[in-house]
Amino acid sequence: MAIINRTPDSFYRPGITWDEGAALERVHEVVAEGADIVDIGGVPAKPGADVTVSEEIRRTVPFVEAVRSAHPDLVISVDTWRHEVGQAVCAAGADLLNDSWGGWDPLLPGVAAEYGAGLVCSHAGGLAPRTRPFRVSYADVTADVLDTTLGLAGRAADAGVDPARIIIDPAHDFGKNTWHSLEITRRLGDMVATGWPVLVSLSNKDFIGETLGAGVEDRLPGSLAVAAVSAWLGARIFRVHHVRETRQALDMIAAVRGDVRPVRTVRGLA
Amino acid sequence: MIVSAAVCPSPPLLARELSGREPVLPELRDACAEAAGWLVGSQPQTIIVVGPAATTAQWDPGSQLDLSAFAPALGAAGKPGPPMPLGLGALLLDQAGYSGPRILHAVGDDEPADRCLRLGAELARSPARVAMLVMGDGSARRSPAAPGHFDERAAAFDAGVERAVRDGDLGALAAVDPALARELMATGRPGWQVLAGAMPAPGLTTDVRYADAPYGVGYLVALIQQPRGD
Repeated sequence: MAIINRTPDSFYRPGITWDEGAALERVHEVVAEGADIVDIGGVPAKPGADVTVSEEIRRTVPFVEAVRSAHPDLVISVDTWRHEVGQAVCAAGADLLNDSWGGWDPLLPGVAAEYGAGLVCSHAGGLAPRTRPFRVSYADVTADVLDTTLGLAGRAADAGVDPARIIIDPAHDFGKNTWHSLEITRRLGDMVATGWPVLVSLSNKDFIGETLGAGVEDRLPGSLAVAAVSAWLGARIFRVHHVRETRQALDMIAAVRGDVRPVRTVRGLA
Repeated sequence: MIVSAAVCPSPPLLARELSGREPVLPELRDACAEAAGWLVGSQPQTIIVVGPAATTAQWDPGSQLDLSAFAPALGAAGKPGPPMPLGLGALLLDQAGYSGPRILHAVGDDEPADRCLRLGAELARSPARVAMLVMGDGSARRSPAAPGHFDERAAAFDAGVERAVRDGDLGALAAVDPALARELMATGRPGWQVLAGAMPAPGLTTDVRYADAPYGVGYLVALIQQPRGD
């Protein structure tokens, strides 16, 4: 899942796809690099200037239409917590609603159900959208993540979302300190064991930066490492900035797991 | 009475599954399939697969190639399979649709030439019409990237084997030096000498279908037909 930010101020390379032409170009590029899904976002996760519903729609809906027209078979996800935006983007051709803020808007599952779209059910630790964790603590962060995401998944199914299209996401960094994010990575197998497909959004995040003492432009190796561990533990969707590198890392893990065959094996066999 | 023989190489890559998603060396695989098909088409009553192994022995004719030894991810076989060259020979026969009697006969890497020749003569003496599928490779030292790196003698060695087969002069195979073959990592030597023992008469009709070393290992595919009335 390739990240396409329709924002001027997201944390990683702010504004690079703020221009619609650049954003569409980026979609072509990530598809060529092996992305199966694009995740389009109109509002940065970090605190900042208010982005109204109508502004978020303005940023995302025409772009979803353009992507849908250029790539009829691409899975289009939109990163939003608002049901009004969900409705508009689904009408424009989106397939998946990535509710990163953990069910903040209780009307969003109904929109997914209405349009036959998928829904990502995330654990944001109860934080309001666009807020940062402040001294958060959990008796057992994994248990909390499981309670929340399974609860949201159940709620989504009850609202009529096709259970085959419900995805759970521990939401690294969201409502979590670095220790929490490391812990949920270590115990990702517990989420996988629930049977719901697991999405992880790790790319260039602060827990990687803090763990390695790495600035935002220096987090690719750490991002690939945690993607690899997550893949090994059974995660199914990886929301990333670096598509080509991640695809290669994941293909490697898939081969180690025995899920796919190597491309070409000659060494020692000729 | 031996009526026909085919020579094929025995790289594990001959098993399609082992090369991964890309069909590495499809032309070699096709040449081997054609050779096996041709052999079956010569209407033998028994086909003897001969291939190198650690020791000379017959293997259960029903035994199958065990890919798991080369690629555990491709599934473990119930029991250990025959030596790779015999398993590949059996696979070629299966793929050619052959279900008649077969013998899987390993010949030891260290068997001296005279014992190989004698074994070939014994196998050919069958009262039935037999065909022989000889699995074995040329030098694995044909290029710097080869498994055994480069040996400047390797190309001439393989060319000599090819020429002997092409000319139907299997006596020249009988004369291949086992020590040189070992140095050059040419695993086909004992099998070729079994073949030389099985078809000593002149007048063979031969057809070389493939002779190359794309990965630094000499591969030879050839058809050999006994003169009619012999």
